[in-house]
Amino acid sequence: MKILTEHESKKLLTEYGIPVTREAVARSREAALMLAREIGFPVAMKIASPDIMHKHAAGCVLLDVGAQDVGAAFDTIIERAKKHAPDARIDGVLVQEMVPRGTEIVIGIKCDSQFGHAVMFGLGGVFVEVLDDVSFRIVPLTKRDAIEMTEEIRGHSILAGCDVGAIVDAILKVSEMAAKENILELDINPLIACERGVVAVDASATIGDPPHNTRRLYVPYR
Amino acid sequence: MHITPMLSKVLEPDSIAVIGASSNREKWGYRILDNILSGGYSGAVYPVNPNEDAVLGLRCYPSVLDIPHRVDLGIIAVPAEIVPAVLKACGRKDARGVVIVSAGFSEVGNRELENKVRDIARDYEMRMIGPNTFGFINTHLNLNASIIPQMPETGGISFVTQSGTFGLALVDWAASQQMGLHLVLGVGNKADVDDSDILAYLSPDRHTKTIMMYIEGIKRGRRFIDVASRIRKPVIALKTGRSRAGSKAALSHTGSLAGTDRIYDGAFKQAGVIRAGTIEELFDSALALSITPPAGCGIGIISNGGGAAILAADLCEDLGLNLPDMSERTVRMLKGVLPAIATPANPLDTAGYASYKMFRDVTDIMLSDPGIHALLVIYVHAEMVDPCLPAEAVIDASERCDKPVLTSWIGGKDIGTAVKLLEENRIPNYPLPERAVVALNNLVRYKRISQKR
Repeated sequence: MKILTEHESKKLLTEYGIPVTREAVARSREAALMLAREIGFPVAMKIASPDIMHKHAAGCVLLDVGAQDVGAAFDTIIERAKKHAPDARIDGVLVQEMVPRGTEIVIGIKCDSQFGHAVMFGLGGVFVEVLDDVSFRIVPLTKRDAIEMTEEIRGHSILAGCDVGAIVDAILKVSEMAAKENILELDINPLIACERGVVAVDASATIGDPPHNTRRLYVPYR
Repeated sequence: MHITPMLSKVLEPDSIAVIGASSNREKWGYRILDNILSGGYSGAVYPVNPNEDAVLGLRCYPSVLDIPHRVDLGIIAVPAEIVPAVLKACGRKDARGVVIVSAGFSEVGNRELENKVRDIARDYEMRMIGPNTFGFINTHLNLNASIIPQMPETGGISFVTQSGTFGLALVDWAASQQMGLHLVLGVGNKADVDDSDILAYLSPDRHTKTIMMYIEGIKRGRRFIDVASRIRKPVIALKTGRSRAGSKAALSHTGSLAGTDRIYDGAFKQAGVIRAGTIEELFDSALALSITPPAGCGIGIISNGGGAAILAADLCEDLGLNLPDMSERTVRMLKGVLPAIATPANPLDTAGYASYKMFRDVTDIMLSDPGIHALLVIYVHAEMVDPCLPAEAVIDASERCDKPVLTSWIGGKDIGTAVKLLEENRIPNYPLPERAVVALNNLVRYKRISQKR
C-alpha cells in the first residue's frame, strides 16, 4: 500500500484527462518565485511531503500569496512542517494556481469487498463528512449512472450554476481510472465546479500492493 | 455459461428423489415428502432411505442409485457429514441438481465441508441450492419441495429469500396473506446458486411477473448488477443491515463515508432494483407491482372522507409524488356528478357520498383526465353504506382502463366482503391509505426504471 502525495495523485488524474490545477514542486525560495511568476499571481502554496496528509491541520497551506510574499511563505511552510512532523520527508513546496470561486464537490473511489470499486460523488470541501451528502455507484459506471448521482444528492440544486456536463465527465473518468488502476481509496476534494469546466484542487490516492497480490475484482458477466 | 437451462430442471423437475425421507413425523425428510405428496405434484417422487422400506405409502430406495428411473432433482435432508456421499450418488445418477436442506455448514463455521460439497456438485455438473435452505415451492407445478406447511396462492410474485427462521416465517406469512406467488425459494448459504443465478433464471420465466427478494448479503456484487439490470420485470428487495458507517480505518473521506448500506443503495439503483425499507413495503409493493401496470407520476386521490384523502395527499408530497390539478373538462364533468357541497379538486372528497354511482362516476372521470396516471380510491366505512357497492364501482371503472388503480378500504370487520371482492378482482387493496401510497410510489419508481431500459 502506498499513499500518493497531492502532486503525484494529480499526475494520475491528468493521465485520465481530469483537469487539475497548474502546479509544480519548488525546492527553494528562488524556484518557488520563478514558478509563481510562470503560473501567475496570486498563488496557493502547500507543503509537498509524503508524510503529511493533513496539510491544512499542520498549517502548511497558504492561499492568495502575492509576488512579494512568496519567499516568506516558502520559509513559513517548511518551518511549520518541520515543527508539525520533525521526521517527515519533505519534497519541497507545491506552488499552485489559485482557482476562481466555484462549487466545491468531492469525487472519490473506495474498494469494497463485495462489489469491487465504488465511485462516490457529493458536496465537497472541508465539511464533506458533516454535509454527508454523497452518492455511490459501482464501477464501471454508465453516463446515466453519473448523471443520476448528480441528481440524487440532497443538495443537487447547489449544482445549478455549474458545468454539470464537466462533472459527469469527471465522474466517468474516475470510474475508468478505478477500473484500470489498483486504487484502494481516492479523494478528489475539492473538485471545483465552475460555470465552465471543473478543476481538481486537492487529491489524495492510496494505491494497493503490486498486481501479484491483488484479486481481479471485476469479472464481467458473459 | 448456460445457467438457465440447468436451473430450470432443478426448479421445474419431472422427477424428484427425497434423500433422507422418513416415516418419523419429526424429521424434515418426512415433512418435505409429505408436502410434495399433499401439494398435488404430478411428477415422479422417490423416497430414499436405507433404513426404511416404505415411506408415506411409497416404496423407499436404499440409495438414489437404486432408483430404476431418471431423477432430475435430489432433495437432501440428511445429517451434514453424510451429504458428500449422498451428493456423489446424485451425481452418478446424473441428477440435474440438488437442494440441500441439511444445516451444519458455513453458517456454523464449517466452511470446509461447504466447499467440499460445492466442489462435488461442480464435478458432476449439478446445480446446488443451499445448503441450509428450507427448499422451494413452485405453485404452478403444485410442487411444495420445502418445509413450509402451506401451499401459497398461485400468482405472479417470485419470492427469493435468504433462509433462516425469519425467511421461513416471512414465506409462511406471505402465504397466509393470500399473496399470489409463483416461486418461493430459500437460497440458504448460496454455496453454488446465488441471487444472480436465480435472477437470471426468473428473468425469462413466464410465470414470474415480479421478483421479491429478502437479502442479508450479496456475493459477487458486480454480477448481481449486470444480471438485475437486464431484467424486464420489477425487482423489489429488502436488504438488512443498514449501517451507514464506513470503515473506521478509512484513509479518505470517501472511505469513511462508504458504509455498506450506501454501497448497496448505489448498486441497487444501478441494477434497477427497487429498494424497500420495511417488510411491509416489500410485500405491499410486490403485490401492486405484480397485478397492475407501472404508474406515471401524476396521482389522483378520491375518498368519501376528507381526512383520509388529505392524509394520503400529505404522504404523496413527502415522497415527491405529484397530485396534478385536473383539466377544465374534468372539473366540469365532476361538478355535474358531485353534490353541491363538494369541490372538484385533487384530492377529491365526495363529502361522504359513497354510492355505487358516485364512486363509479368520479372514478371514471378522474381516470379520463390525461394528467392523472394512477388513482388511489379510499373508502372510509360509514354504518349506513354497503362497502361492497363502492368496491364494485371501482372494479367496474378500472376494468376498462390501463392506468393502475389502488384502493384502501378502511374499517373493521364490516368491510371484509368488500376487501375480498377487491382482492378477487386484482385490485391492490390496503387497510391504511399510507400503505397504498407507499406501494403507489414504487409503481412510479418502477415506471422510471423501466423507461431507462
